[in-house]
Amino acid sequence: MKKIEIDPISRLEGHGKIAIFLDDGGDVAEAYLQIPELRGFEQFCVGRPVEELPRITPRICGV
Amino acid sequence: MPEKFKFAFMPSASCGGCEIAVVDIDEVILKVAELADIVYWPTALDFKDKDLEAIPDGGITVGFFNGAVRNDHDVHHAKQMRRKSQVLVSFGACAQMGGIPSLGNFWTTEELAHRMYDTVPSVVNPDGTRPQLKYDAPEGELTLPRAMDRAYALDQVVDVDYYLPGCPPQVKWIVAAVEAVAKGELPPKGTVIAGTKAVCDECPRERSEEKQVTEFKRIHLVENDPEKCLLEQGIMCCGPATRDGCEAACVVAGQACRGCFGPTDNVNDMGAKLASAIASIVIADTQAEADKILDKLDDPAGYFYRFGLARSMLGVQRGERKDGDE
Repeated sequence: MKKIEIDPISRLEGHGKIAIFLDDGGDVAEAYLQIPELRGFEQFCVGRPVEELPRITPRICGV
Repeated sequence: MPEKFKFAFMPSASCGGCEIAVVDIDEVILKVAELADIVYWPTALDFKDKDLEAIPDGGITVGFFNGAVRNDHDVHHAKQMRRKSQVLVSFGACAQMGGIPSLGNFWTTEELAHRMYDTVPSVVNPDGTRPQLKYDAPEGELTLPRAMDRAYALDQVVDVDYYLPGCPPQVKWIVAAVEAVAKGELPPKGTVIAGTKAVCDECPRERSEEKQVTEFKRIHLVENDPEKCLLEQGIMCCGPATRDGCEAACVVAGQACRGCFGPTDNVNDMGAKLASAIASIVIADTQAEADKILDKLDDPAGYFYRFGLARSMLGVQRGERKDGDE
């Protein structure tokens, strides 16, 4: 099956890639969006003083 | 007209704020456009991995790398940027010293993943599905990068020529860096393009000759006097150990410094330096008194290493912990 890879997805913050599989007729059989990044905000915010979070969580996305 | 410079901007484990800082140089971007062609900048323009691959080694005059190095794809990008850039600039706090993503270094990558995919309240994942490095979809193979054991600073992976610190870097220093490139007046290798003193030195708040702290208070419990040193009001501030050059932007806005410009020159471990700076201003006659004051400093790790844990001598959490452990 023919595979088209869009890597990276551009003009956005964050990381993503797309894999599109084409069938024999050239039509899209399936498309996958993948997010390859791991940072861990879900964990490292835990236990921090709540008044500090407005200074940490904006760094999830700074755009 | 001489041949234009070639600039490239590579994002890694970052938030995109660094790239917004580039756009924030406003009309100076027109000068940059006169001076240089942008040959890779996927956050702003439609570039793909293959475009970077196609650039010959040394083909980028100045490469700007933002973000921590968090997975093997980031390592690949760091090495590519090093090879292809005549000058490689570590852009922003994450590339310089791990930044906010390196707060995750207090846990193992497996612990982070466990939280993210298994226990975080917003996730429903009864089958315990995890991202796979390789997945055989019915239509073909899919791959993902391998997360490393922790977040790394750029210069822990490749050789770096200059550092533009900050979260995000300040416009005036970005402009200064671009002007230095334009004039061919590059500073000595390894220079941090910012101030050379501490944030306290450019902080407009009044402070006494000798800072003294007898109690730490959380910011919502203090009526913050805008004229007076935050530390002297008992509010934890990272100004004493943080490099200046930001014009004390956070402090002027009423928030304490959190150290995003990194340490001043000749400091190996910012957290250790901050701990020492804080210890020296705590006024206590006995150990018990000192303990009582410092106990109120509720998250020293999060204050001392807010942006710099990847560069710390503490290294990385390697032990296994149970849920609920701190």
